[in-house]
Amino acid sequence: MARGRLTPLGWVLLVIGAAIMLAPLVWTLLLSLKNNAALVGHSEAALHGPYTLENYAAIFGNSLTTRWLLNSIIVSLGTTAGVLVITSLAGYGFARLDFPFRRTLFVIVLLGLAVPSQAVILPQHQLFAWLHLHNSYPGLMLPGLVAPFGVFFMTTYMRGIPIELDEAAMLDGASRWTIFWRVILPLTIPAQSTLAVFTFLGSWNDYWWPLISATRSDMYTLTVGLAAAQMNYAQTSGLGYLMAQAVFASIPIFIVYIVFQKQIVRAMAGTNVR
Amino acid sequence: MSGTRDWRGLLFVAPFVLLYGLILVFPLLRGLWLSLNQVDLFGAGHFVGAANYARLARDPIFAASLMNTFEVTLMIVPVLTVLALALALALNRATKGAAIFRGIFFSSAVLSVTIVTLIWRFVLAPDAGLLGDLWTALGWTPLPFLSDTHLALPALALTTIWWSMGFPMLLFLAGLQQIPEDMYEAAALDNASRWTTLWRITVPALRRTIVLVVMLQTAAQLQMFGQSQLLTAGGPSGASRTAVLFLFETAFAQWQLGYASAAAEVLFLIILAVTVTQYWATGRATAQGK
Amino acid sequence: MASLELKGVRKAFGSTPVLDDVSLTLESREFIAFLGPSGSGKSTLLRIIAGLETADAGEVWLEGRRIDRLPPGDRGVAMVFQHYALYPHMSVRENMAFGLKNARASKDEIERRIADAAAVLEIDPLLERKPGQLSGGQRQRVAIGRALVKEPKLFLLDEPLSNLDAALRLRTRVELAQLKQRVDAAVIMVTHDQAEAMTLADRVIVMNDRRIQQVGPPMEIYTRPANTFVAQFVGSPAMTLSPASLVQGEGEFAALTLGDGTLVETRVPRTSLPAGELRIGLRPEAVRVARSGAKAKVELVERLGERTLIYARLADGQPITAEDSGNSRVRIGDEVSLKIEGASAHVFDAEGAGYHRAES
Repeated sequence: MARGRLTPLGWVLLVIGAAIMLAPLVWTLLLSLKNNAALVGHSEAALHGPYTLENYAAIFGNSLTTRWLLNSIIVSLGTTAGVLVITSLAGYGFARLDFPFRRTLFVIVLLGLAVPSQAVILPQHQLFAWLHLHNSYPGLMLPGLVAPFGVFFMTTYMRGIPIELDEAAMLDGASRWTIFWRVILPLTIPAQSTLAVFTFLGSWNDYWWPLISATRSDMYTLTVGLAAAQMNYAQTSGLGYLMAQAVFASIPIFIVYIVFQKQIVRAMAGTNVR
Repeated sequence: MSGTRDWRGLLFVAPFVLLYGLILVFPLLRGLWLSLNQVDLFGAGHFVGAANYARLARDPIFAASLMNTFEVTLMIVPVLTVLALALALALNRATKGAAIFRGIFFSSAVLSVTIVTLIWRFVLAPDAGLLGDLWTALGWTPLPFLSDTHLALPALALTTIWWSMGFPMLLFLAGLQQIPEDMYEAAALDNASRWTTLWRITVPALRRTIVLVVMLQTAAQLQMFGQSQLLTAGGPSGASRTAVLFLFETAFAQWQLGYASAAAEVLFLIILAVTVTQYWATGRATAQGK
Repeated sequence: MASLELKGVRKAFGSTPVLDDVSLTLESREFIAFLGPSGSGKSTLLRIIAGLETADAGEVWLEGRRIDRLPPGDRGVAMVFQHYALYPHMSVRENMAFGLKNARASKDEIERRIADAAAVLEIDPLLERKPGQLSGGQRQRVAIGRALVKEPKLFLLDEPLSNLDAALRLRTRVELAQLKQRVDAAVIMVTHDQAEAMTLADRVIVMNDRRIQQVGPPMEIYTRPANTFVAQFVGSPAMTLSPASLVQGEGEFAALTLGDGTLVETRVPRTSLPAGELRIGLRPEAVRVARSGAKAKVELVERLGERTLIYARLADGQPITAEDSGNSRVRIGDEVSLKIEGASAHVFDAEGAGYHRAES
C-alpha cells in the first residue's frame, strides 16, 4: 500500500534510476543492430542509424550458437522436469509418511542448503569424469536435480494441505501412491509452477557447472558459449555480432520472465504484490 | 494420525536421497579428503596432511583474493540493501506506473552473468564503452575501469549492484505488504511525520527481511566468480581476483586439485562463519529489543 | 448379531492417556451418539473405529469381523468429517466416485449409486461443480453422499452440526433423521451438543474423562443419570445439585432436607441409599414459583417466551434454578417461594452416583 506521495525529488531519482537500469540494455540492443565495420573505433556510431539485422542473420547461419540454444533448452527443461518429479516424491515422503530415519534424513537434506557449490565442485568434477558423464546431457542435468531447497519447499507446501483429505482418501480405500497421485499432487500445482520457473531460470543461467563439465564447444549451453565468445573476442571487430549474441541469449529468458511474471512475484511475496 | 512406521515411505524419498548422497554428500566428504592430498590432473595423489593449508596461509595470491572478495562484498551489500529498500518503499503502490518501474528494476535480475558481463564490458570500456563515449562527449577523459588496479573492484561492484537489484527489492516489497495497516493508522493518529514513520515503524517491522537480504547477499557475493573472470580476468595483476576465481584457476588452469580443494574448504568455512555470525548477532539484537 | 463391538479399547498419545478400557456393543441399524465435552476421548474413539488411529490395546469388531487390524478402506466404514474434507480439485461427481473407483467398481455401478445418492440428497444439479462453488450446507450433503455411495455397514459422523448456523442446523437435523430411516447401517455420531444427541440418537453414550459414563436411550439418560456428570451435562439449563441430609425414619422412600431446612419427599427407595454425604438433584421443571415453599432470592431472570428461567439463591446461599410460566412477573431481587416436586428429585451420593425413583 502506498505510503503517501512521492516527492518530486523522489520521482526524479526514480526516473534517473530507471534510466541507469535501462541504458546498458538499450546500448547493447543498439550495438547489435549496427554493422561491425561501422563500429570499429567508433562505438558511438550505435547512437544513430543506419541499423541492420545482419548480425542476427549471422547468428542463425552460425550453427554453433543455435546448437548452444538447443543445449540450453534440453538441459533446462530436463532439469526442471527432473526436479519437479523427485522433489514432489520426496516432499510427499517427508510431509506425510512415517518411515525410519525420516527426521534425520530431513535434517541432512536441510543442511545441504548451507553448502556452497564451490565446496563440492572439484570432487564432483572428478566423480563425473570417472562416470564418463562429462560433455553429455545427463552430466549437465544431474547436479541440478540435487535441490535441497526444492525438497524443503515441496515438503512445506504439502504439509499445508489439510490432513483430513488424506484421511478421507484412506477411508476411500486409496493406497499411499493413489493419495499422492490423485489427491496431493494436483493440489500442489501452484508450488510446482513456482519451483519450475525458478529451477528453469537457475539452470538456464548457470555459469558454473556447465563451464566445468562441458569442454567441447558443441556441448556448451548458451550461457557458457556466450562467455567463450566474449573471451575469444578480439577488440572491436565483431562488436555488433557479439552484442547480437547477447541479445539473442536474453530473449528466451525475457520471454520466460514475462510469461511467468506472476509466479516469480508471488513466490517472493508469498502473497500478491498487486 | 499415527500409522505404522513403514519402510515403503523410504521409496518416495529414495530417488532424491540417493542422488543427494552421490552428488552432494560424497563429494563434500571427498573434497575434504582431496584437500589433504597433493593431486594433479591424473588423479594420482599422495597424502600431505595439512600442507596445503599451510601453503595457503603463506600464499600472497590467495590472501589477496580473499581481501578482494571481502572488499567487493563490503562495497556491494550495504549499498544494494539500501537501494533495494528505497526502491521497495517508493514502488509499494498499486498504480500502473509503479508496476512498470518495478518491472524495469527487476529486468536485469533474470539475465545470466555472462550476458551481464558482456553488456557491462561495453559500458565500462574506455574506448568503446557507453560510459567512455559519454565522458568523451562531455570533454572528460574516460575512466579506465577495467584496466586500473584501483577501479577494477569498484567496476565489479557497480556491475553487480546493477545486476542484483531485483530480488532484494521483491523481498522488501513482500515484507512491506505484510505490515498491518493499523500500525500506520496509529502513527498517523499520533501525528508522526513521514520520516518518523519510516524509521520508527517501517524499518523495524522489516527487520527480518533486512537481515535475510543481508545474509543472502553476503553469502552470494562472497562466492563471486563470473564477473571477476569475465570482466577483468581477475586483473589487472590480480587486483580484482576473487577467492572463487583463485579456486577456479588453481584447479582448472594449474590442475592443483588438492591445493584448490583446500582453498574451497577455507572459503566454505568463511562463508559459514560469516553467515552464522550474522544470524547470531541479529538474533541477539532482536532479543535485546533494539 | 451385534453390528459393532468394542472390547477394552485403550489409547494414549505419548504419556497422555486418552481412552481407558472402553467397551460397548451396538445393535444393527442403531443410531448412536458419542456425547461428551472436548477432551473426553469421543473423537479418538471414532477415529479408532475408522482406522485413522490405532488403539494401544483392545479389539474392534464389525458384524462379526475383526477390523482393528485392517486399513481404513477395507473396514466397510464411511465417515463424514467435521469440515467435510471434500477433494477441492475434483467435481462433486468425482468426489463421490473416488472411493468406488479405488474399489474397482464397474462404471455402471458407480453411475447408479451416484445417481441414487444424489437424488436422495437433492444434489443432482451440483454434480459437475467443485466444492469451492458450493455453500456450507451443500458441501455437507455432498460429504454425506460420498459416504452413502459406499454402502457401508457403519456411518461415522464427526460433529455434523457444529459448523452450521442455527437455521441450517435444524434443517440438517431433519435430514440426518431421514438418513437414519433410509440406510441399512448403524450410525455413530460424535457431538458435544446434548440437544443433537438427544434428538437424533437411539442410544446415547456419554463420555467424560476417557471413560464411558453412561449408555442408554436419551430419555433414560435424562431421567435416570448415572452420575453427577451426566446429570449436569444433559439438560439445559443444568440440574441443580444441593447438599442435603437424610431424614431418619421408617418410610419406603427417602426424605431429605436441604440446607435451608426445606423438606423434600423423594420417591427414591430409602434402602438403596448409602451412608455418607448426599446431594439432591433437581431439574428446573421440578422447581416452580408458587405461593408457598422454600424461600429464595432471585438473582437472574431469563424470559424464553414459552417459559421463564429463574436463577435464585436459597436461604442458606445454595443456588437453585426454577421455572415459571412464560408471562411470569418475577424480577431480579424479588423474594419468591419455590415449590419443589419431590417425586422428580434425584439423589447423588458422595461419589456422585445417582439414585432415582423406582421404576413403575
